[in-house]
Amino acid sequence: MPTLHVLSDSPFTDASLSSCLRLLNEDDGLLLCGDAVYALLADTPQLQALELIPDSIQLYALEEDVQARSIDAPACAQVIDYPEFVRLSLKFAKVNSWL
Amino acid sequence: MKSLLIINRQAPWSGPGAREALDIALAGGAFDLPIAMLFLDDGALQLMPGQHPQKLQQKDLGANLQALPMFGVDSLYVSARSLAERGMPQTSLTLPAEVLDDTALRALIERYDQVVTI
Amino acid sequence: MSELTVAGQIIALDKDGYLCKLDDWSEAVAAALAQREALILTEEHWQVLKLLREFYAEFQLSPANRPLIKYVALKLGPEQGNSLHLNRLFNGTPAKLAAKLAGLPKPTNCL
Repeated sequence: MPTLHVLSDSPFTDASLSSCLRLLNEDDGLLLCGDAVYALLADTPQLQALELIPDSIQLYALEEDVQARSIDAPACAQVIDYPEFVRLSLKFAKVNSWL
Repeated sequence: MKSLLIINRQAPWSGPGAREALDIALAGGAFDLPIAMLFLDDGALQLMPGQHPQKLQQKDLGANLQALPMFGVDSLYVSARSLAERGMPQTSLTLPAEVLDDTALRALIERYDQVVTI
Repeated sequence: MSELTVAGQIIALDKDGYLCKLDDWSEAVAAALAQREALILTEEHWQVLKLLREFYAEFQLSPANRPLIKYVALKLGPEQGNSLHLNRLFNGTPAKLAAKLAGLPKPTNCL
């Protein structure tokens, strides 16, 4: 049962990103929104960790959060809008929101 | 008059913390209190150029921060470590904050009569 | 809530008499607001009001007295940018009254 993991906390002040990366299954998805999109900042160990996840796991980032924070999304992340977010939540068997 | 150092650790858009820290500084500055602000940890992200708060229907914290010197708050500092951790170059910050290493930060905190961390 | 009628247009004010919508401002609206305060706007008033609108455009907030004085001194010189002069122009409460006449929100850091 593939899971869409949704992260929203800053990866610099919260361990949710590193914990989540250890727990991902091969067909899962990872969606970054809110302050979690800071994991996409260039030249950070957080981005390096994201670049190492297997190709079978798709990485998404919410467009408005990326743009608001002046982040250039790297190639490994697919930038999506809210309708796409809704579509993804239906596509995956379940959604795990890391609050 | 006692001097106050505000240590600002809040990312700009996820909660009220960043604005509250700014409000303390502006209120104190309006009374001519000697106030300094240190951007530490995720607080450093407030100084990132090119942000678009209107995407999140938020007020422009970045523009408000520019008013700090007008309110008499011109002692602005940012942690070198916090910038480096976030891949932020020291040369493109939205405020003329002095970049300090950990040793200098310890001295800074010691220098102020009162310190509040938000 | 109250209203102001300027040239046949109804303009909404908040409970303290500040414009509800920044876009409603015009020179005619400023003059009408000044009339409510028994104030006649001179060239010296207009200079400060225009500067305040620039301050708001730049910083997205209304200044308290000290930053207002500092900003006016910076842009128009110390002759105008001092508390005596600004107090005289704006009935002793320059930050609040000038913000009102310039169509800006009430300054929040004026305790």
